Amino acid sequence: MKMLKTTLLCSAIALAALPTLGFAQDTTVNMINPLPRSTNFFPLVVGEALGYFADEGITVNLLPSDTSIPYVAFIQNGQADLSMLDPVETVNAINAGAKINTVYEVMQNAPEAIGVLDSSKYDSVDDLVGTTVGLVSDRDRAFLQAALDVVGKSIDDVQTVVLGESGPTLAAAIRDGNVSAISGAAPDWIALNANGINVRLITPEELLASPANTFAANAETLEEKRPAMEGFLRAWSKGMYVASVNPEAVAQMLRKGVPEEWENEAAGQLFLDMSIGMNVSTTERLGDLQTGVWTALQPRLLSSGAIEKEVDVSTFLNDTYIAAANDFDRAAVEADAAAWLAANK
Amino acid sequence: MAEAAQSGPTKASAGPSRSLRNRRLMTHAGIFLTLIIAWELASRAGWLDPLFYPRPSNILNSFWLIYFKNGNVWEHLGVTMSLVFMGFVGGSILGIVLGSLVGLNGLVRRFLKPYVIVLEATPRIAVAPLLIAALGFGATSKIAIIMLVCFFAPFINTLSGVMNVNAEKLELFRSLGASKWQILRKLVLPDAVPIIMAGERLALTAALSGALVAEFIQRDQGIGSLILVYTRNLNMASSFACIFTLTILGFLIFRGMELVDQYIAFWKYEAGRERVSAKRRRAMRS
Repeated sequence: MKMLKTTLLCSAIALAALPTLGFAQDTTVNMINPLPRSTNFFPLVVGEALGYFADEGITVNLLPSDTSIPYVAFIQNGQADLSMLDPVETVNAINAGAKINTVYEVMQNAPEAIGVLDSSKYDSVDDLVGTTVGLVSDRDRAFLQAALDVVGKSIDDVQTVVLGESGPTLAAAIRDGNVSAISGAAPDWIALNANGINVRLITPEELLASPANTFAANAETLEEKRPAMEGFLRAWSKGMYVASVNPEAVAQMLRKGVPEEWENEAAGQLFLDMSIGMNVSTTERLGDLQTGVWTALQPRLLSSGAIEKEVDVSTFLNDTYIAAANDFDRAAVEADAAAWLAANK
Repeated sequence: MAEAAQSGPTKASAGPSRSLRNRRLMTHAGIFLTLIIAWELASRAGWLDPLFYPRPSNILNSFWLIYFKNGNVWEHLGVTMSLVFMGFVGGSILGIVLGSLVGLNGLVRRFLKPYVIVLEATPRIAVAPLLIAALGFGATSKIAIIMLVCFFAPFINTLSGVMNVNAEKLELFRSLGASKWQILRKLVLPDAVPIIMAGERLALTAALSGALVAEFIQRDQGIGSLILVYTRNLNMASSFACIFTLTILGFLIFRGMELVDQYIAFWKYEAGRERVSAKRRRAMRS
């Protein structure tokens, strides 16, 4: 009996101690996104290399997760402070009653695209009718729907197959003609092109200027973490700004920060060039929310069936942090980047 | 004198046994090298698809890159191995404790066993995202996934070990008036430990797979997330270098557990019995 009691007590202590391992501090910003530190989201790596997050007193807790994880649920239950969502996910979440606000546009040029083999006969999305199109993840179905809708077709006009994120599977599928096209994102094309499988993008122009991976936060707790969130977004903006003035420094920071993506220098540089195009804001204020773009986007998403109904953008686009995110000395950031590069060449 | 007589044949047989082992090692090394050379030649001849089978020389170069030039694998390896260790210890303790309780107590067995069996039948990979949703991100949910993966082998083996005690011996112990504690310590445990240790060997290798599943879903750190980055970028040589790292680690872990088994369940092995007998003789002499 004594042994049983001891055993039960030890088990209870062990189980009680486990959750403490995952607890984070108040100044921690928990961010859920699909990738670990990556060239694709270089502002984070740059901000960390130049110490901008630390200067703001913030620890970034990255929660990169498979897309099978319900990102919105983690904002709602407080496990994540910021989540990278696509417009379709954002609108669908709001339609489902989630109280979230979009607070910052990480990418203003969508990384999503429809790619075909360069040597293939397909010149537009219209040509894909009756063929099998590969999806990198189930998330890409909505983008394909929207692309088909632009040319007056629907998702039912093509067959789809989810190929997964594994590079070899994607490469073999498109190279061997098992799929006519792939609906995916920038990192997928870069990997294929860098490995001699040349891909041509046939994305309809109407879909090119679309926000993507926007930061969404819980609408009810925007004030609670205001200092940390503002600091986080300011550090992110600084990282983004460095790429527009000193891309060489950014490349060097990435070589050191994510060497696994730079083992092939040409592929790394290609990845960075594409990522700069997607990440650096086209709006005057970095990360600003483009009300007009979000409004114009929704009818297309609705007619393609990607969303159930349109949502008034004023109910979820909230620029409460944008001014603070842009409140930094550009010249000082330029000097920091130049000094870092000089010291780390 | 008696000790010398006993150890004599053992020492005499050590020579041929070592030579046999060396011969076997050389044979395996030869087979391995032949396979690698064939692979390299087939790759160079263009018979193998480089998307799926990178050249061994490129994989070797990737080992150099990730371990020495960039050195980026160490941190990930550290994270994965810490998770494997914590998940294995947690899962093992839980499995052995519950297995013992279920095996020794009829009431607990009646209530608990069906649920454990149902849980065992549930595909654990499918449960992993739910565990993350329930326990949150970070080490806790990853450890929970690994615990779940490596819980069953110790549980089932402990249960069978405890329940399959030799009935005649048990009768003998009881007729001699042995207490429950004495029966557990002197009969049940010695009979069950070798079976429990077999479960532990399976659990530790399963823990490695559990860690990978957890890292494929939560991609922050660990060798699993590194493999995902490499395969996404079609850097198959580095991806293979990581996979081979895991293969080597899995092998070393398995062999390590065999050594631990030989130490704990020493009475199963001749060398172990001799080691303990010699120790006892020395203790008696002094």
